[in-house]
Order: sequence, then C-alpha cells, then structure tokens
Amino acid sequence: MREAAKPVHNPIRIDEQKCVRCDLCDWVCPGDLIVHEEGNKEKLPVVAYPDECWYCGLCQSICPTNAITIVFPEQMIHNRTDVVSLLGKVVK
Amino acid sequence: MKENWTTLDTDLLVVGGGVAGTMAAIPALEAGLKVVICEKGKVLDHCGSVGCGVDHYLTVMDSGPEWDSPEFLIKHLPELTDGIVDLAVAGRVIREMPRIFRRLESFGVDFKDRQTGTYYRLRSFGLPGTYHINFDGTDFKKHLGERVRKGKATVLTRTMVVQLLTRDNRAYGAFAFNFRTGEWYAIRAKAVVLAAGDVNRISMNASGLAFDSWHFPYNTGDAQAMGYRAGAALANMESVEATLTPKGFSTQGLNALVSLGAHFVNKSGERFMFRYDPKGENARRAVLADAAINEYLLGNGPIFLDCRHLPQEMLDRMAHTLQVDRYTLPAFYRQKGVNFREELVEISVSELSIRRSGVYFRGSGLAVDTNGETSVEALFAAGDCATVSGGIAGAAVLGHIAGEGVVQRVRNAPSTLPAIDPQAAEAVRSQAAGHLERAGGVSWRAFEDETRRTVTDYVGVRRTGNGLKLALRTLHVLSAREPQMKADDLHGLMRVHESKNIRLNAEIMATASLARQETRTGSAHWRLDYPATDEENWRKFVLVERGADGPAVRTLSTEHPLSHAFARSAARA
Repeated sequence: MREAAKPVHNPIRIDEQKCVRCDLCDWVCPGDLIVHEEGNKEKLPVVAYPDECWYCGLCQSICPTNAITIVFPEQMIHNRTDVVSLLGKVVK
Repeated sequence: MKENWTTLDTDLLVVGGGVAGTMAAIPALEAGLKVVICEKGKVLDHCGSVGCGVDHYLTVMDSGPEWDSPEFLIKHLPELTDGIVDLAVAGRVIREMPRIFRRLESFGVDFKDRQTGTYYRLRSFGLPGTYHINFDGTDFKKHLGERVRKGKATVLTRTMVVQLLTRDNRAYGAFAFNFRTGEWYAIRAKAVVLAAGDVNRISMNASGLAFDSWHFPYNTGDAQAMGYRAGAALANMESVEATLTPKGFSTQGLNALVSLGAHFVNKSGERFMFRYDPKGENARRAVLADAAINEYLLGNGPIFLDCRHLPQEMLDRMAHTLQVDRYTLPAFYRQKGVNFREELVEISVSELSIRRSGVYFRGSGLAVDTNGETSVEALFAAGDCATVSGGIAGAAVLGHIAGEGVVQRVRNAPSTLPAIDPQAAEAVRSQAAGHLERAGGVSWRAFEDETRRTVTDYVGVRRTGNGLKLALRTLHVLSAREPQMKADDLHGLMRVHESKNIRLNAEIMATASLARQETRTGSAHWRLDYPATDEENWRKFVLVERGADGPAVRTLSTEHPLSHAFARSAARA
C-alpha cells in the first residue's frame, strides 16, 4: 500500500498581489485545506492539503479581493477514463 | 485524566452542523435546553452535503389540490421506494412537511421566485406531483446558522466526534477533538443527535481523485460508524447511489438539468431514457443512473447531456441554478471549452455513495423511529445518515422532529449522567497518539484507496455472492491494519478516523448486500446471481448491527416499522 509519487496538483491559486491576508478562505473551506495564521497580515494563506480539494469554490466566492482562482487538473478537464472500468468486476 | 481534556455537560449534543443538525438544535434551544454542536467545518452557514446553497426544496404544501396533500404522497410511497420503506417514519416526515416549510419561511428563507413572487414548482425524480420548489437558496443555510447562534448554542468547529458514550443501551455523550488545536473534549449529554451525513469517498470515479465526489467528500459515514460501534441498528445499507455527472467532474446539478428539460442521448444520438422508464428523464434518480450504467455496459456509451433544444429562457435559468448548487461548474465548462447551450456534454456515472440509493424516503443508515430515535436510547439520527432521507427537505423535517423528540427524552432523563470513564478517555487518546507518533506505517490515502478499489470492483453496481465474500475478506484484512495508519498532523488524524469509518461502512454495505439475495431498484442493488426482484421473500428490510464477530444481519418485513426490531421499549408514537 505505497503511495504513488505523483506531483500534486494545486487547485487553489492565490494571487499574492491581490491577497489581503484576511482569514476568510481558511474559515470557509469545508475540508480544512487552507491554513492561515489568524490576524497575520504578512503571511499568505497556505493550501496545505491540495489533493483533498472538493472544487467547491467557496474560497473563491468569499474572497473579498478576487485573489483566488480554481484551476481544474487535466484529468478532470480532459478525462479519458473508460466508464465501464468503474462498473465492477464480475466474479462468478 | 490527563491535561488538555475539556469536559462539558449539556442537554443535547449534536454531531454535525448541517441542515439536519441545526434543525434539531433549534427546537431544543427554543425549549431552553443547553446545546453543544460539533462540526468538522468552521461555519454553520453552508449546507452539509452540498457545501454551499440549495437550488431546490421538496415539499407538499397542502395548497388545495389532492396531489399537494401529505396523504396523496404517502399513498405513493411503496411504488416510489420499490416497497422498502418505513411507512411510519416516512409518513410522519411527509405529514410534517407543510409545518416545517412554514417554520423555514418564518426563519427568513425566501422560497419564492424573485421575478414572479410565486413558488416555482417543478416535477422531478418520478415524484407524483410538482413537489420541488426551484429557488435561489444561496442563503438558505445562513438563516439556520443564525437561528442557532441566536439561541446561544455552543458550537465547536473543526471538531470531530470520534466515539459515542453509552451505558445500558443509552447514549450519554461522546469524545471529540479539535483538529486545529489538539484539544480533546469529553462531552456528557442527556441526548445525542447524529447528523453527520452520508458516506462518500467509498468508490472510484472517472477523475480518480478521491475528493472529487458528487456529494460532500468530508461526509464519511462518521455517524453510521459510531452508531454501529455503539450498538445502533442500521438498515438499507445494501443500496448504493450513483448519479450522472459531467465526465471528469463529479458535481451536483442533475435535478436542475432534468427538471428544466435537458435530455440524455447515447453515442447514436438516441434519447434512451424512455426505454427504461415511461417518465424518461423525469424518472427517479436511481432509474436515471441505472439506465446510463446499462447503456455503457451495452456499448452505447459515451452518454451525452443535450440542452440544445431548450429555449433561451430555460438555458438562462439553468446556467443560474447550476452555480447555486456548485459554484465552480461554470468555470469547469469554461476551462473545458464547452458551451452546454450549443454542444453535447459527455456524461459519466459518478462514484457511489451510501445515502438513499436515488430513492426519496428510503434512506440507508441508522434506523430510527417516528421521533428520530435510534435503537439506542437517547441517540437520535437525522438527515442523510438516517433511514428516512429526502435531501434538504428530508434533513430539515426529520432534523426538527428529532429535536422535538430530544426535548421529550430529556424531560424524562435521569437527573444524573454516568461519570466519564478515565480509562476509556485515555484509550482514545493513546490510540490517537499511536497514529501521530508512528514513524513508518500505512498512509490513510493508501488505506482508503484499497477500500475504494474493493468497493468499485466487488460491492459496487454489479454484485455476486463470491465477489462480495472476496470483498469482505479484503475489508477484514484492511481492518487489521488500521492501527498502523500514520497521521502526519492533527488534520491527518481526522482523516485517519474518516478512513476507518469509510472502511467500516463498506464492510456493513457488503454484509447487507450479501444477505439480500435478489436485485432491487436496478443497480442500487444488482445481484448478478439473483437478477430478479423477489417480492415473495424479500419485501424486507436488511438490518445490520454489531455482532460478536463483526456485522450481523437480521431481516424484518416492511409491514412493520424498523423500530419493531429495536431492543429498547417500543417507540412512543
């Protein structure tokens, strides 16, 4: 049960110039992915667990300065999975 | 007990601050009870299962016509649920719908169409009337959150409940921890409401991303798993639910699509749904998913969504409601470069979840009586973790019923609660420390992948006795590896607990599926070795409870309410 060493896609892009270092994205993320030290006006929020993103966009929708963009990975945008492979194996 | 424990005494502990949980808290607060809510998120202003707003609400309104009366909808329950329904509980939920709907309006929820000032009611999912109100419910949950805050409930956010406390088949609290601060809570309560939602991250989907799921990936069957460990009975756990999603993005929005008139076509351009149901795209969700699964297996895939025939006004409404349910869906289409107004959109079958198998009022989860109380006294359940589930409305109504049941239960509760057992508390802590301090070990991601692969291959939409037995063996081996799971931090510790809960739900599902030797509701429970629906022998509930060697099964005729199988005194009607 080893983990595949794939690079992790970051779905939550934060524009350093626009970000005002408020705590809203941290507060609103339902998956506890975005971490920002409360009240710290120096540090950017960190997307600590990018592979646990639901792509709900709540962080983007709440951001007061439109600093956040949700970027979908290639396997979501151009998906090539054979749907039949998801429909089970038949064991006689 | 060691330091860093906070002990709290309350009347009601609510697990989960979604629609069901907040609706349960409200009548308790109104009755003057002390309420503690534990919520894994940070705010109470978003819906638990969809994370944002609501675009439709199912209700009878008793507005005059026969179809709009509770009794009319109740009469149709057996056909809507393929005969597997707790008529007592579902009947009460439906009868209470108009009252709870009016309560929600009194909280400030505006169900009316902004342009016309009337309710925009649509027919969908095979229901025998236009019961779905299509509305802009962006603020729906904010009103409930506000109500709870005004009632002065104690809300513990970023806090996961990991173990219920019971004695003599009666619940009296829970252990929980805050996964940001590491603070542990020992909470004693006269009643507990479990409202932690459905089970997701349990099978694979097209994108292969575990958290790309149609329903909320942070709902991981915590209530079902904890309830099971505490001795509560579960029912309908054999039934799985899938939906149709844009391929690559498992997102909500199907209801809006079909109720506004979208079509599904196969690779030949055939509008195939009518081959499966005379209602076509307006069939129940279970039928829609089943039809698409069949088309894919017949080699008629890919399946496409076709909106090209719709008038501009409908397309505009569709574009608007889509982002109410999932804010990022327009961005997905944009990044993909697809215009759904003019082009076909490829559709996939989503990953599975355990919720209500695409069938309203037949929930898969904790069996409850007409007060929302489980087989464990003072332990209630509502929303998608309970056996009567009906989306947002089902969560709101059964949640409120459970809250009122709690008020009665607390009035009759013994004046003193059992003391917290320090050994039990320390056992939870040392188990957590074991995951956090482990140098090597198994990652929760890899552990979960094994569960998902096993469910997808052998417990998913095509089941056989031998496949299910194989799955149960694999899931059993996995359970032995649970102590080896490694958590990198407190957040990871929360995920480790979720992974254990997902695995346990998979085991319960496989056990129930093996017991039900028939096929019912198409691919919601499709046994290739028992392909027919067997009305003579299987008009029954499959109940799963904790046995001496793992999950144990009982069956109960659907002529009885599930509470007939409860060991505690018969339900107070």
